[in-house]
Amino acid sequence: MNVTKHIAAAAVAALMASGAYAQDIAVIAGSIEDAFMDKIKRGVDDATHMVEANGGTVQYLRTQNYENFGPDLVTLINQAIAQGVDGIAIPVWVPEAQIPALQVARDEGIVIMQYNAGLPVQAEIGAVNYFGSDEYHSGYGGGRYMAEQGATHIVCHIQIPGAINLEERCRGVTDGATEVGARVTILNTPANLDGDVTGTAEVIKAELIGDSSIDALISCAEFGAAAAANAVEQTGVDLMIGAFDISPASLDRIAAGTQTMAIDQQPYLQGFLATSMLFAHLRFGTEIATDPVLTGPVIIDAANVEAVRAGAALGAR
Amino acid sequence: MVDAPVDISSTKEKRSISFLGPLRRPEAGAAAAFVLILVFFGYFGLDRNFMTALGASTWLNFASKVGIIAIPIGFLMIAGELDISVGALIPAGGIVLAMSVETFGLNIWLGVAISFGFAAAIGWVNGMLVTRTQVPSFIVTLATLFVVAGLNAYVSKQVAGTTQHSLQDAGVVSEFIFGDYHSLILGEGETAITVFRSLQSSFFIWIAVAIAGFYVLHVSHWGNWIFAMGGDQESARNAGIPTAKLKIALFILSAMAAALVGMTEAVLANTASTTTQFGMIFNTIICVVVGGVLLTGGFGTVLGVVFGTLTFGIVFQGINFTAFDKDLNMLFIGSLLLVAVLMNDTLRNLATSAATTKKK
Repeated sequence: MNVTKHIAAAAVAALMASGAYAQDIAVIAGSIEDAFMDKIKRGVDDATHMVEANGGTVQYLRTQNYENFGPDLVTLINQAIAQGVDGIAIPVWVPEAQIPALQVARDEGIVIMQYNAGLPVQAEIGAVNYFGSDEYHSGYGGGRYMAEQGATHIVCHIQIPGAINLEERCRGVTDGATEVGARVTILNTPANLDGDVTGTAEVIKAELIGDSSIDALISCAEFGAAAAANAVEQTGVDLMIGAFDISPASLDRIAAGTQTMAIDQQPYLQGFLATSMLFAHLRFGTEIATDPVLTGPVIIDAANVEAVRAGAALGAR
Repeated sequence: MVDAPVDISSTKEKRSISFLGPLRRPEAGAAAAFVLILVFFGYFGLDRNFMTALGASTWLNFASKVGIIAIPIGFLMIAGELDISVGALIPAGGIVLAMSVETFGLNIWLGVAISFGFAAAIGWVNGMLVTRTQVPSFIVTLATLFVVAGLNAYVSKQVAGTTQHSLQDAGVVSEFIFGDYHSLILGEGETAITVFRSLQSSFFIWIAVAIAGFYVLHVSHWGNWIFAMGGDQESARNAGIPTAKLKIALFILSAMAAALVGMTEAVLANTASTTTQFGMIFNTIICVVVGGVLLTGGFGTVLGVVFGTLTFGIVFQGINFTAFDKDLNMLFIGSLLLVAVLMNDTLRNLATSAATTKKK
């Protein structure tokens, strides 16, 4: 351990001599196994070209999984601080854990840009701007759309119980659908089934078998639509399926008519705008007059699915 | 060349000093892996402050959480057992504390006691089932993993109506001991020397657990009993060692260590979730194995496990300080595990051959 300390001390001395000279930013995101995050990364990657062309760097940090999400995010924030970045772009998923850590970052003079999640706490973390959707209004739009298509009993599926943004989505779905006269029940699946299509399909199947009045499902997860389609295939129940976010597979289902709609929040734009606008703010002092900047909801159904598929083929939708 | 079966613990004092001495210590493999990994990430992460006090804190903090559990898990593995129920006891420790304080308005120390008590009860059940039945501990603790995970979700929903609990700051002393960041900077201004910075309370708890663990395994007579159990269960019992009692105590220890980690996280992050931490089961086993403990029991050291945990912490967090693609993280961990185990085997053979009286 003594040797370690000497190496560390030498490294500290070397670093203090060099000092910061360019705008370095860290972009913090969710699990490396989450396909939605890959679309954010596509936006971050494109913005990185612009950042690097102007002499800055982008460090893209992701958690391993969602099992210990709050503390893991705090660890990543602390890593960004340790790396001496000038700005952090980050969603706020677990406010209790993240707000104190981001406060420390701000005390160090780090500028915060927020994207994807946590709009209600934007003022509290002092983020320059927010790029993402308003969860409640996205849910409201989706719930209303489904009820207008004739749904009477909608199940709103939450894949990570307790996640505030997902609960907001279902609150929106409930309000939007009940206004048009439909009923909404919430289905929580255990967080360790997150991303598990087969496991989630079985839970949805059990729900469909147990209550024959269910005629629509809106999942807060993109993979939830695949799980629901899987459950429909097994049970033969007539079910309208909707989901937050899209994938090539869900676009195929919408084109084929086995999925009714998807509520898109355009993650590519969130990653691209949060990264490039944070850098431009640091480097050029720019600000966007619109605050927050909403990248969703955009409802994708049979009418507009083909245009979206073209973007999906390029990894940006 | 035939390796005679040798009891390392009994020959430790008698071993002659030679230039190969340090290499023949049982923890040499783990220590070598640690140095190798530190140099590797130190080089590739140098320009992103990996080697600064603040940079080191990110992997030390991570290592401490795994390390607190890895030491009692190491004991169990030396004694020839496994405990994977810790994956559910970590969240249990946090939510029991959060519910005690937030839902029932209890004093935080009472909450800590209740949380420890719950964990000890589960550990006792694990120990009783393993010693009273012939069911392997892997299966027993696999069962309790799911039982506790189910209890976490159900009780928390019934009692507090949510699976995501908040735990507001509960007092200066409890924050200091369980969940705060600590820095030690000597002097001021230009000449200030940063001894450590932003280390979580759990890091200091880990050191305390490691020292206590060292005493138990390498100084006290219980240590010899643990090694003896891992070597040969039957003859250990015939030699008058209370194997059942000792084993139950070890399961209680690992369960309480897991709850302790859950509590430190809850106090630090002001939040506790019921989500079962399946990843932590593997993390603790990786640390113990990289630390040179034999999966079949009978061989291992506390210092080795500490080195194993440090190495794991660097690999897990270090990649974020480098320019490597973050998707490679798991691949790095898997490779480390293989390399460390191979290195341990080589050095263990060296150590055991040195323990024989054979002269070259």
